[in-house]
Amino acid sequence: MVHALRRAGQRMPSGGSLISIRPHRTWRPLVSIITPSGKVPVARLINSAFDSRLSAAEAALVRVVQEGHFTLAGIQDHRYRARLDNLSQLRTYLELIAPPRPRFPAGRRARLLNLWESRPRGSQLEIAESVVVTALQRC
Amino acid sequence: MPAELDISAYPPDGMEVRLIERFTTLRGRRILEVGCGDGRLTFQYAPTAGLVLAIDPDRASIEEALDQQARLHVPNVAFRVGSVERLPTRGAPFDVALFSWSL
Repeated sequence: MVHALRRAGQRMPSGGSLISIRPHRTWRPLVSIITPSGKVPVARLINSAFDSRLSAAEAALVRVVQEGHFTLAGIQDHRYRARLDNLSQLRTYLELIAPPRPRFPAGRRARLLNLWESRPRGSQLEIAESVVVTALQRC
Repeated sequence: MPAELDISAYPPDGMEVRLIERFTTLRGRRILEVGCGDGRLTFQYAPTAGLVLAIDPDRASIEEALDQQARLHVPNVAFRVGSVERLPTRGAPFDVALFSWSL
């Protein structure tokens, strides 16, 4: 990852911008049931294999700043939500994520199924996701 | 099932471009996009960008991007199979390098 950032930097003039957008490492995807009367959080998905990649990406960004190739221009977090109508759409959503895919913590998928079985009419599923944007400027 | 076709695990269209443009404009810029995949993000900003080199190691994804490019008539993007590590160190400079979901 450091090599990729260095190589990109070699093709950028001083003042050029390098932008990294990636999933937030600590704000994990949150699956909730949205009922007419409110939101019921069910599970934060886990993805330990991917977490290590995100840690490596963060370390690489820090490293190229420390090496003097770039300066940090800013970091910004952002959340977004997907609304789904049923469990089949949730399966599709999770399958669309490139491996390694997130998974439910132990017992949480069963809890989702139980809660969904007894949902009020008009309920939906929601997945809240988070991204972090890091902007570096070429020295 | 049309509703199923609308499902995406990525942010809504336009959100990432708005986030990027909090730090730098993409309008008229020479852009290197690393890990462009099928061009999902590329086609969102390309209409206002200058020249774009969009690379990805996955040949199937680049072929999808090229098909989409032909349909959308986006002439200012060069999609290439490859990795940034193999990018020649010499060549025209890029104003912006984007690593979207690829670092």
